[in-house]
Amino acid sequence: MSENWVFYYDFNKCIGCHSCAVSCKNYHNRDPGVSQREREMADWRNVNHFESGEGDAFEEIPVSTSCMHCHDAPCVDVCPVDIIEIREEDGIVTHDRPDCIRCQQCLGACPYDAPTFSEAEDGRMSKCNMCLGQGTGSAHGQDKREQPEDGGVTPSCVDNCVGEAIKAGPEEEMLELASDEAVERFENGAHNQRVIVEPMRRGSEDVGSLVDRVGEGN
Amino acid sequence: MSDSTEDRSGLTRRRLLQVGGASAAVAIAGCGDIYSDDNPATETPTNETEPDEPDQPDEPATDQLAYGNCWICHHNCGQEVTVKDGATVDITGVDGHPRGSAGAGTEGTVCPKGQAQIEKVHDPERIKQPYIRENGELREATWDEAFSYAADRLEQFDDDHGSETFLNAASWTTTPVVNRFWKNLYGTPERISRGIHVCAGPTFMTGGMMGVGSNNRIPDYQNSEFIIAWGRNMLESFAGQFEAKGVLTAIEENDATLVTIDPQHTETAQKSDEWLQIRPRTDGALALAMANVIIEEGLYDESFVREETVGFEAYRNAVEDKTPEWAAEKTGIDAEKIREIAVGFAEAAPAAGISQWTGTAQYANSWKASQNITALNGLVGNIDRPGGLRLWQSAPTADPFEVCEFTPEGESEPIQGVDLPNNAEGKQKAIDKHDEYSEYPLRHIEGIAHNLVPEMVDNGHLNGIYVHYDNPLKDGNAAAWREAIEEMDLVIATDAYWNGVSRNADVVFPDASQLEKDTLGTGSWNAYSDRTWVTGSTAAVEPQWNTKPDYRIIAGLADAMGWSEYFPWENNREIINDQLSEVDLSLSELESGGDNYELLAEYDYEKWKSGDGPTFWFDLGHIPPFANAADEAGMSTAPEWQPPGTYGDEPGGEYPLEFYDSRAVFFSHGGDQALKGSQERYARRHNLEDKEYRGNYLVIHPDDAAERGIETGDMVEVASETGSGELMAYVSGATRRGFTTTVYGFGPGSVQPEEEGMNSMDVHSKQMDPITGQVARHIAVDVAPTGGELS
Repeated sequence: MSENWVFYYDFNKCIGCHSCAVSCKNYHNRDPGVSQREREMADWRNVNHFESGEGDAFEEIPVSTSCMHCHDAPCVDVCPVDIIEIREEDGIVTHDRPDCIRCQQCLGACPYDAPTFSEAEDGRMSKCNMCLGQGTGSAHGQDKREQPEDGGVTPSCVDNCVGEAIKAGPEEEMLELASDEAVERFENGAHNQRVIVEPMRRGSEDVGSLVDRVGEGN
Repeated sequence: MSDSTEDRSGLTRRRLLQVGGASAAVAIAGCGDIYSDDNPATETPTNETEPDEPDQPDEPATDQLAYGNCWICHHNCGQEVTVKDGATVDITGVDGHPRGSAGAGTEGTVCPKGQAQIEKVHDPERIKQPYIRENGELREATWDEAFSYAADRLEQFDDDHGSETFLNAASWTTTPVVNRFWKNLYGTPERISRGIHVCAGPTFMTGGMMGVGSNNRIPDYQNSEFIIAWGRNMLESFAGQFEAKGVLTAIEENDATLVTIDPQHTETAQKSDEWLQIRPRTDGALALAMANVIIEEGLYDESFVREETVGFEAYRNAVEDKTPEWAAEKTGIDAEKIREIAVGFAEAAPAAGISQWTGTAQYANSWKASQNITALNGLVGNIDRPGGLRLWQSAPTADPFEVCEFTPEGESEPIQGVDLPNNAEGKQKAIDKHDEYSEYPLRHIEGIAHNLVPEMVDNGHLNGIYVHYDNPLKDGNAAAWREAIEEMDLVIATDAYWNGVSRNADVVFPDASQLEKDTLGTGSWNAYSDRTWVTGSTAAVEPQWNTKPDYRIIAGLADAMGWSEYFPWENNREIINDQLSEVDLSLSELESGGDNYELLAEYDYEKWKSGDGPTFWFDLGHIPPFANAADEAGMSTAPEWQPPGTYGDEPGGEYPLEFYDSRAVFFSHGGDQALKGSQERYARRHNLEDKEYRGNYLVIHPDDAAERGIETGDMVEVASETGSGELMAYVSGATRRGFTTTVYGFGPGSVQPEEEGMNSMDVHSKQMDPITGQVARHIAVDVAPTGGELS
């Protein structure tokens, strides 16, 4: 159990509406929305839709992912200029953006395709910062992440999640609200303990494996 | 301001910002002076604050908080908007909001289409100033010019054609004065609204006639143990997010069973215990067979049926031979599955509810489908019982024309109420006045039908139209409607975006968007099963460019017509305060206390127990206008089976596929498909963001696609006997073989700035439900690749 911040995702409450992705862009002012710029701006939070089966066994499962702020973040290891950091105080993965050399090796290493490189943002890496800061490159060097009740912001994706499927907070708190089965899976090492995922209650696909498929180019 | 009895501490927003600071207009109790509009420059509202609010600091602009009631689908989810330097920069929900949360103690959110409202405020694609038509071309005009030109044309129109041939087609306005202007003052009895005519006429009308109003749409989710989403996708196409949240709450807290009956896969189907992929337009057969099972097995509510209903014998006779095996053949659903669902529903009743709306109402034989489905509620006695069909109640509001207080010009004493004439009195609607429409059964119960408007224009019975925000070109008979718009002598459009109406109008008034306006929301169904409610907000930012809130547009036009005495309010906020006087509230009170809503009266279940007469009618023979219409249409007044093709299309031959248009979670109706952020999201949802194309997608089954050589991303043509359209294909097993669908509101005549995609109603002509005139949107088509350039 750790005080590091993690995401919690309950597919059973995700209605696939993309409100999280839209909200993220709005909050971080990455969504002028009114120009071509929107098209050129990759999402920090993605909703992938996985289709399978035929006839009345057809399934379509939305999976919302972003940077998971992995405790063992592979991006840190591959960055040639060592600008990506797993913060000791809250586990949030940030980077010293001005020094990014746009090599995209972090994207190649990321299990969730989280780092984005958009020309509209000068081609340097940008990604989710758990709303530690507001805007591209804003999180580096910020003070410890506070809980909403202590003045920290609720991550924007969490704040506008219609089904309350996404939550974020210190790992121990997230495990408290997770189901026994989700906790057991997590403790058994599911997703390398990078994210807490509720098992699917209706449907035949294993949502856990879908989360892991996000970075595989599905 | 919300219910003071609730403990809402701990729900305070994490960004504690100043409330209402960006709000524009000055609040004056009651009605203000008569609005004058000599110069567009004078309309810019001042930044004065209300006397009882602290002064704004002079420091550089900081984030300010404002509220809103979402108008993208006009179902009033509460919004908290962050405003910086006069720009809307962020948006989230209002905790505990009746439409935008799951109820007390829950988070409020804003869905993706609602979030687009902050984009709409600053969208450069909007209509930014008034236009008038001169020498055949639209040209920019001042407000004075536009008002004066419109007034002259309206007067000329009355002289030439008679005001009774002018059609008021306003929908979803944010001010309550629009219909009074057209009916009481201009004097036209002709009015068409969206609900009954193009949305779900059979759902609304059968509910009304059977005794439950249109409450057959939204059951008491939170208390339900068994929910049937019948042709509904309330997890994506909700009328307020409380619907999606209510269904999820019922699953989580009541372990409710969710059953979705839908020919296409949806998120609601995905979250269901059972998804019955029914053959399109056979819902009526399934409903009769469920009744057959429920009656045969003695699972119906005998005492409710005996004491509170009329026409049970006719109903019993209608379902007697409609066994699950019979229905299996019609619907394609296994007979055992039908039994199982029927028994599950009846055993969970009264805590069992059905949600039906457009999916079972937008085909030509949908009157009987709606009646048969609604009848199941009466059979199991779930009427106004927890978890069943709730008889929702609304908060009362005052008629601002009756309660306003003002001092007329030249007088010294204030008076109460506006003495509004009724200039439409004694005038007949075309459908009643002329013989040309005697073949349409709908004339017995409706005053007009969407499909008939082009014919009425051809006949010279309608010669002008006022369109406000809603775009009729997306709603049926599109080609004929476009011609009708061109043929009409006077077209006045109030809108935020250019579309096939505003581009062809004689006068275009640019409407401010919701966050630039004062709005009031009331209604019935919401997250609180036993409370009425109101929600309100003052404008978050000033009207952008040279636009005006719709009240100021109507008041300005009234002034030009010489009717300013009837519009004594300075702005819509004063009107809202008058409306709220009925419940002793004001807009500023609504917006105080950390939210923008108020829960009002509590009301009990089983309201019918206090009434004398019957509660529910299975057979509608008691309504003579309906009985006449049904007789002419060749249908019974009782529930019965009408197969697809009884009226409307039946696929086959050259047109073997059945086409239908529905909605995505990113768009509502046809007013906002212009928004680039929403277009982008819709493209990303389909993994087609790399294409330049930003129109709608045709969802087509892999087998149907393979037969035609179609792959995802190909441009295809959809053609019916009467029209065609072109759009991009998305091949997916989400739909049935033989059934192909798209999202409406795109293509020629739409607000999509490039008119990209297909106007789904270009393949439609006059197919409709004969009773209500509801546009039938299931069309026989074929689909072929166009070989168009792919990018």
